[in-house]
Amino acid sequence: MPSIQLHPTSLKSAETTTSNPSSLPASNPLPQLLQTPSGLAILELQATINLPTFESEDDQHASPGSPLNSNGTTFETPVGKLMFPDYSPLNPDDTKWMKRVYLYVGRYQRMTGEVKKLPKPLAVLRKRSSSENTEELEVVEIVRYKVFFKNRPEPVNNI
Amino acid sequence: MSTQTSRSVLFTHTQPQQSFRLLELPPDLEELLTSKDAPVIKLKSPSSALAQAVKDPAAQEYVNLCTPTKTYRIRQVMSSNSIHILQPSLGQISRDDIKVVEEEAGETGALNLPDDSVTTIANCGSILELHIPDGGFSAVPFLEKSLRLYDPRSGDDDGDMAMDDSNPDEGPSATQTQEAREKVCEDVPVSTAHCETGWLELCAFVYGDQEVSCWRPSARMRLSVWKRLMEGALLQGIDLQKQFLVGDLWKSVLDDDVSAPPFPRALLEALARRLCAEDQRPALSEDIKWACFDKEECTRWVGEICLAATAPTASSAVGRSEFLQVWKDCLPESWRADAILSKLPEGSYQSPNPTTMFFVDASQRKQISKAPAAGAAAAKTKAKTTRNWHELLKNSKR
Repeated sequence: MPSIQLHPTSLKSAETTTSNPSSLPASNPLPQLLQTPSGLAILELQATINLPTFESEDDQHASPGSPLNSNGTTFETPVGKLMFPDYSPLNPDDTKWMKRVYLYVGRYQRMTGEVKKLPKPLAVLRKRSSSENTEELEVVEIVRYKVFFKNRPEPVNNI
Repeated sequence: MSTQTSRSVLFTHTQPQQSFRLLELPPDLEELLTSKDAPVIKLKSPSSALAQAVKDPAAQEYVNLCTPTKTYRIRQVMSSNSIHILQPSLGQISRDDIKVVEEEAGETGALNLPDDSVTTIANCGSILELHIPDGGFSAVPFLEKSLRLYDPRSGDDDGDMAMDDSNPDEGPSATQTQEAREKVCEDVPVSTAHCETGWLELCAFVYGDQEVSCWRPSARMRLSVWKRLMEGALLQGIDLQKQFLVGDLWKSVLDDDVSAPPFPRALLEALARRLCAEDQRPALSEDIKWACFDKEECTRWVGEICLAATAPTASSAVGRSEFLQVWKDCLPESWRADAILSKLPEGSYQSPNPTTMFFVDASQRKQISKAPAAGAAAAKTKAKTTRNWHELLKNSKR
């Protein structure tokens, strides 16, 4: 009874995720280092993103394993812009760029962070969609780097 | 300026959010999960009955992560930061919305329309961490509670275990045995390997005519089986230290009266498996055909169960010399010299006074050997290196 199965990532499931055209775009705009087969990455923020409240039906979490509702009601709210000022795709082996990442929120706020290698990799787990009665989990991705903003937002002057 | 030429990535928030959990992976678990044929891992917590019976001093409720060979305790660590899970954007964003961000970011560099975007699809407030407690994990306390005690008193043959009308040589089939064992282990919140070690340690066996049950023999019963097999081996000239057929040993135990075996064959096999030299031991799922006992391990084991059978508690303490005599009498002639107190496992006995001694159960031994001072020191060094607030504050409060 009190046992929950945790399935490892299978190559097959990774393929089905990426081959599903609606779930993932072809290109990943993040630096190579942060890219994972499933496209998932981790961003840690010493802050909360406040969004306007949504209608109650949208406020609920999507049912596990279905990134899109059948009627396609997901929508995105722009929050800001991520910049990797020192990153050059031509020189991916140089890791100095990892020291500096900016997140601009609105016009006057900027957060400075960095890309960090996680001391221990993190497995991203979610409920398996196929299981209905029994609870089953699966490892969607194993992430080894994170974008980390440990500093509070700083004002940027408007020049 | 480098910022002007560098690419910017639009960062958006997707509604509705999905739910994910983050699990921190120790190196060996990472290796296991990324290996080619990664096994299914189980998150196990004890059944409510077992949780009541086997109290864990460290936690009232817990979940263990069990790989085939390893067990970890899961700890949920809350994070004060928000941890977002990003994914390349699905492109469901309107130009108007982007304009809002664009106009607000007035810098020339930022004015370039972001060529791509990422979106946060989930926010996690906690991370699941794994750790192995100081004492490690053992299935023994759980198995002791979930297995039936096999301890028929002499002259009480038709008590619990009716073995009259069946062929005693045939217990449950191999598959039945395995199924019964796996059913028991399903509720034991440790890895399969830990379960099997505990099963072996207790000499547990599966038996029953109509209703198949899992049993653990009492110390007294184990001792009597041992005596019986030792006598049988002596009569039939079986050298226990060399490879022998377990079937032959069983025959030697049966005397002439094949119809009324003194105990189930599965019990003898469980004992043979326990005493078998480790490198010769077959997997639990396989039949034990051949065995070969390790003299030293055997002697120690016999000494321990002798003491457990004769002096299980402080009130029933026996004289040392008396015990040594019993022990010696339970060993083959040539092993008698090995029966000395120093051969007993560490902490397995206590002496209320210099001449007597009694048995200390394995579960109590650990607590004694775990000196509180050493534990605290270890926790302190751990706390220093950790960035986990639970641990940092745990010690300083005292």
